[in-house]
Amino acid sequence: MNPNPQSSDGKHDDDSALSDFLASLMDYTPTIPDELVKHYLAKSGFQCPDVRLIRLVAVATQKFVAEVASDALQHCKARQAAVVKDKRDKQQKDKRLILVMDDLSKSLHEYGVNVKHQEYFADSPSTGIDPASREE
Amino acid sequence: MKDGGLENKKELENSKKQSKSSKFRSKSDDFALAIAKVAVAQVCESVGFQSFQHSALETLSDVTARYIYTLGKTTNFNANLAGRLESNVFDVIQGLEELESGLGFAGASDINRCLAKSGFVRDIVHFVGDAADVRFAYDVPRFPVVKERKGMGSFQEKGEEPHGEHIPSWLPAFPDPEAYATESTVGNGTTSGSDGVKTGLVRIERKIEWPLLNFQQQFARNGNVGDSSCVGGDSGKAWEVSNSNPYLAAPLHFGEKEVDVSPVVLPTKLSNEVASRDPVSENRFVGNHVSVLETFAPAIEGIKSGMCEYSSKQKNVLYNQRPTVHFKIGIGKKSLNTAPDFISKNKDLQKIAYWFENDNEKDDRKRRAENFMKESMECSQEPGQL
Repeated sequence: MNPNPQSSDGKHDDDSALSDFLASLMDYTPTIPDELVKHYLAKSGFQCPDVRLIRLVAVATQKFVAEVASDALQHCKARQAAVVKDKRDKQQKDKRLILVMDDLSKSLHEYGVNVKHQEYFADSPSTGIDPASREE
Repeated sequence: MKDGGLENKKELENSKKQSKSSKFRSKSDDFALAIAKVAVAQVCESVGFQSFQHSALETLSDVTARYIYTLGKTTNFNANLAGRLESNVFDVIQGLEELESGLGFAGASDINRCLAKSGFVRDIVHFVGDAADVRFAYDVPRFPVVKERKGMGSFQEKGEEPHGEHIPSWLPAFPDPEAYATESTVGNGTTSGSDGVKTGLVRIERKIEWPLLNFQQQFARNGNVGDSSCVGGDSGKAWEVSNSNPYLAAPLHFGEKEVDVSPVVLPTKLSNEVASRDPVSENRFVGNHVSVLETFAPAIEGIKSGMCEYSSKQKNVLYNQRPTVHFKIGIGKKSLNTAPDFISKNKDLQKIAYWFENDNEKDDRKRRAENFMKESMECSQEPGQL
C-alpha cells in the first residue's frame, strides 16, 4: 500500500479528469430527463443528493440506448442491402429506416437481453421455428 | 394443501394482472414509461431512425427503464458493501462496468485498475463529446407527486386542554362536541342536527369526517345496547335500538311488529288509495304516513344551508322515517290485474299513468287473456288428473 509518486500523480490526474468530466456533465443536457432517472433510481434504493451522479447515469443510459439503436440500424441496413428484388422498390424503401422488432431483438441479444416477438398466426411457412435456424 | 392451492391461484392471478414483467411494471409506472418512450424515440432519431414499430419502441423503453433500475440497484449494493448509505461516483462506475461486462471494455482484465481510468469512463467522455445536445421534448414535472395529508391538529396545536390527565397533549384533539352529540337521540335528528350544523360553520373540512365518526360511534353504542338487549333487555330499549339500527335489533316474534323494509318513499295518496281497495288484492302498500314534503324537507334545508355533509344527514333522516310495507303473499291462481285500475282512478297519479297507460293496457289485456287461457287449461287438466 505504498503508492509510487508517479502513480499517485497519475491518480491525481485521473481524479481531476474525472471531476472535470463530472463538471462538464452539468453543461451537457442528456436527452433522457433527470426526473425520469431520479424516479427509477429512487425506486431501486439509490441515495445520493449529488446531481452530477444522476447526470452520469442519464448519460450512460443514453449511450446504451444509442449503441443498441445503432446496432439495430446496422442490421436494418444490412437487410435492405441483402434483399434486392426490385431496384425501384429498394431505392424508394432505402430512405425509410424503421426500427423493427427483429433488428431490435438481434441487437439486444448481444447485450444479454433476450426478446422474442410474438408471431402472427401462420404469417409465413417458417412461423414458430427457432430464429437461429431460420433463413433470412 | 387446499389453502396452498388457493394461494398459488391468487399469486398466479396477480402475476397475470401485472402484465408481462413480474414486479417491475405496475400501473403507477405508466407515466414514467411514457416519458421513457419519448426519450428513447428521440435518441433513436438522433442515431438515424426515421420511424418505429410500436412494439419495438415499447420494448426498448422498457429495457431502458430496467437498465436505470438495475444500475441504481447495483450502485446501492456497492455502496452498502463499502459500509455507506449514500452512493459514490465509484459505485456508479463499478455498476456500469458490471452491466457492460458482457460486451467488454478496455482494461477489464486489469485487476489493479483504477476506476477513474476505467475504459468505460473514457467511452462516456467520447460519447459526450461527439453526441449532439438534444434536449428532451417536453417539460417533465417532478413526480411522483406526494400528497400532503393534513392531519387533525393535536391538543397542543389547537391550544386545547385534554380532558383528562391520562390523555397526552400530542395526541390529535377530540372533534367538536356539537356534531356528534346531536345524532345520539332518536327522532330529534332533523331539527337539532341542522342547528348544530349551522352553528358549526367555521370548520368545514372536519365536518366531513365527523358524520363518519358519528356513524361509528352510533354503531358502537348501539352494538353495546344491542348486546344487552339480546341478553334480556326491556322491550322499550329494544324498540329504541330497532329504530336506530335495525341490524342490531333483537329478533322479533311472530306478529309482534311489522317489518320496515323498503327505503322507497311512496307518495301518501297512492298508499291511502291502496289501503281503501278491496281486500282481494294481493299486494298492499300501506302505512306510509310521511308526506313527500316531509321527506324532502332536510334536502331543501341542506341545499339552503349549503353544507356538504347533507347527504349523510339525510341518510339518518331516512333511517328514522322509513315507510312500512306490508306484503301479503297470496295462494291461489288469481292473476295480478289490479294495478291499472287504481292508478287510473287517482287524479294525482294520472300523469305517471299517462306515460305507462298505452303500454299497460295492451300488455295487460294480453296478459289477462293469456292467464285466463292458462287457468282454464289447468282447470280442465285437474279433473283429468284426479
